Amino acid sequence: MKQHILPGALACAALSILSVDALAGDGKIAIKAGRVITMNGAEIKDGVIVIEDGRIKEVASGAATRWDSELLDHPELTAFPGFVEAHTNRGMDRPNENLEVAPFLDVRDSIDPINFYFEDSLRQGIVALNIQQGPMCVVGAQGRVVRPFGMTVEDMTIKPDAGLKIVAGSRMGRSRATQAMMLRKSFTDVERYLVKLMQDEKDGKDAAKREALFQGRDPEKPENKEGRAMEGVAKWKLSGFELVGRGLVDKKQEPMLRLVEGKLMAFVQCDGAASVHLALEVARHNGFLANTVLVVEGDSFKAVDAIAEAGVPVVLGPSMNWTERDPMTGKEEETFIPAVFAKKKVRFALQSLNSTAQSLWFQAATCVSYGVDRETAMSAVTSTAADILRLGKRVGRLAPGLDGNVVLMSGDPLSATARVEYVVLDGELVYDRSKDPRAKQLLEGVEQPGAAQQGLPDEEVDPHSGQKKPAKNDKGDKTEKKD
Amino acid sequence: MSSRQVNLTIAAFAAAFLCVAPAQAEKGKVGQKVSSVSAKKVYTGTGKVLEGGVVAISGGKIDSVSGGGSEEFHAITPGLVDLGARAGAILWSVEQSNEVTARLSNSAALDPWGLEWDRLVKSGVTTVLATPLDQNVVGGLSQVLKTAGEDSIAARTVRKDSVLRGAMGQQPSQRNSPAFGRPTDFYARRPTTRMGVEWEWRSAFHKTALGQNEGGERETLMKALKGEVVLSIAAWTTQDIRTAVFAVEELKQKELFRSQGLDKPRVVIDAAAEAWKEPQLLARNGIPVVLPPFTATGRTREGALLPRNAADELRKAGVVFALSAHGSGAYDSNLAVQAGAAMSGGLPFDEALKAVTSTPARLVGAEARVGSLEEGKDADLALWNGEPFEPTSRVVAVIVDGVLVWDGRD
Repeated sequence: MKQHILPGALACAALSILSVDALAGDGKIAIKAGRVITMNGAEIKDGVIVIEDGRIKEVASGAATRWDSELLDHPELTAFPGFVEAHTNRGMDRPNENLEVAPFLDVRDSIDPINFYFEDSLRQGIVALNIQQGPMCVVGAQGRVVRPFGMTVEDMTIKPDAGLKIVAGSRMGRSRATQAMMLRKSFTDVERYLVKLMQDEKDGKDAAKREALFQGRDPEKPENKEGRAMEGVAKWKLSGFELVGRGLVDKKQEPMLRLVEGKLMAFVQCDGAASVHLALEVARHNGFLANTVLVVEGDSFKAVDAIAEAGVPVVLGPSMNWTERDPMTGKEEETFIPAVFAKKKVRFALQSLNSTAQSLWFQAATCVSYGVDRETAMSAVTSTAADILRLGKRVGRLAPGLDGNVVLMSGDPLSATARVEYVVLDGELVYDRSKDPRAKQLLEGVEQPGAAQQGLPDEEVDPHSGQKKPAKNDKGDKTEKKD
Repeated sequence: MSSRQVNLTIAAFAAAFLCVAPAQAEKGKVGQKVSSVSAKKVYTGTGKVLEGGVVAISGGKIDSVSGGGSEEFHAITPGLVDLGARAGAILWSVEQSNEVTARLSNSAALDPWGLEWDRLVKSGVTTVLATPLDQNVVGGLSQVLKTAGEDSIAARTVRKDSVLRGAMGQQPSQRNSPAFGRPTDFYARRPTTRMGVEWEWRSAFHKTALGQNEGGERETLMKALKGEVVLSIAAWTTQDIRTAVFAVEELKQKELFRSQGLDKPRVVIDAAAEAWKEPQLLARNGIPVVLPPFTATGRTREGALLPRNAADELRKAGVVFALSAHGSGAYDSNLAVQAGAAMSGGLPFDEALKAVTSTPARLVGAEARVGSLEEGKDADLALWNGEPFEPTSRVVAVIVDGVLVWDGRD
């Protein structure tokens, strides 16, 4: 019998985050820890992290602290920059949209601040998440990097405009050929639009002007009137484009134009090696390879040489083991995907397998168990992940100038028994495990009122195939699952 | 001794190596006999830990465990034992023409070439209890067997038909429904509620005591009630654990059972997710439990709550427990991960090791052969590339009965 989360429990849990004491807006805090992992050079023993105005001012052993700053003094704990979730489509009301090509959408409108996903991420020490649309599209919404704390999306935002989602793999029952055609067409459609726009301007037609007015841009205003040449590193050459007023380009077409101009990143999701080649080809052809990050799943690792040659970084899928069955011997062969990329020196970041138990720390630890060196594994969930998101100066390391994000853990971040005890975001203490009722439930079985019988649906899994067996009365649920 | 056929799942052809002198665990020599293995840490599972040790093997048995050695691996533990592995728990491993099919044995339903064995081996599990599917109230007799070795279930079996399996709660009644307004079918005859399931159990016990059943059914149920075979009852939630315990206590309270010596079942409760809530029920009857896998949210199937500290709480309450991964070989949910999860809830490492080695071996009466690294026991070893149960380490090689059955080192 399927169980559904009661609305009451949602509100109850949402309040639990608010109950943490946060010094409102001060941004001034000093953290003392017995072990400080900076991800920016050597570890520091008995280190002090000084944060002012929400930014890290100093990280050193024995650094001086201000008399009026809050002090978190925990010599028994380990300080850590916090994990960076390089790509996720959770935390929104639903991960996918019905439109195939919808670059004008923005995940800002979809992100749900009280979604349990953010609370779970915070509990696991994640300080930044790259929220992107799901893979059921060709060109998706513009993403956003947020922190898992805040009651409004604006409050949570670390970087708006974090990149456009593109999907190279075959989805929604489409063949690869159709997906490829639609992806290429989405770019040629933009080009065709711009050419038509230029022609209409020459012909003196005013449809574009009327549309601009409708969209709230007065084409006669000086900032909108100035001609617009293709800016940046654009590969398309549109002669005569400089005669087109800046404000005349339709808002819906802007995102892809900016992508081609090199002003926007692209997160291209590949479901296998075949789609990696499509992704690289489209990026090269339209001139945005330098701003591309591949989000790779399935057997994409088989195209690692092409990826290495293209010099693009990757975000690895949550499932890090790839199993194939040899048709001749019947034997199952496993490939550990991160090891393939580490060996070819491709920069990679990891995704959580789930937001609760197998979060980023677990994925990084598993990499170590499969022979990836510890530094690479830790970087894949902190500094390298931040660099891939072009946020290396904001998150992922404990260094002066970066955002005041610190996670205090009771042991080594990659160990089974360590727990996240405190999280400081932008210089404010936002998480204290001793006050977290959901952590109490998971670790000690202390049940929240109103939380009884929230269960996972009964699953019958065929132990041979690992597939979920259909329940007796399963009519098939066509709607997307909510978090 | 007849010539052996090599298991399809073993890479090398053993026949070619039979005349070669047995060697140390060399990379790639899968299928070959091993005469000794060494590691930085040897966890014997008896409480004794060697810093730098060697396990010597001959004739498939452990010859000795001593100090020294060249530290080929980071750690050695006994091969892991999983009583809840659900090996062979497929629809045709349980007979449902009757709610209680105690006399039936699932040994004929097990497939030595199934993919599940490889997955279990790779996660370090060398001995499992293979139970019939819990779709029947009393499914039948179960096997304790190795996850690797010769290609026959008989050859791998450690204890045959030594555990009688059944279930309380939702699972045996899940697909059944009452006969309303349609022709009655098979699903209408079977219990549709928890109380129906409980009734079948108690009915089976009473029929046995009153002489109202016969043949293999009677014989097997009598063995179970006398404690000659272990009685494994799956019960996830508090109410199902209570039901199971009270049914057992009824045997001890009623003269009907006591007078015939039918009040001595050796009960193990499987998938006892909520055992931590009322441990006194189990402690007062000396009933051990097997825990199901820890889940991401703490909720298991059937809506039971299994917090991380459940194992530690049971330990403090004096309840004997074993851990289980329910057959998963995946890196995020195998038996080592379950042990790690129990440790994250406060269970000390040596207790976690016991819960996946010596304790489960003892619960099914296989402790003479498996569950610890001691002289004379089967040479079943799990070889690790780091500290066992930490997510930064994993099983990289496995030896069963003195043969290297898997080597995953690069």
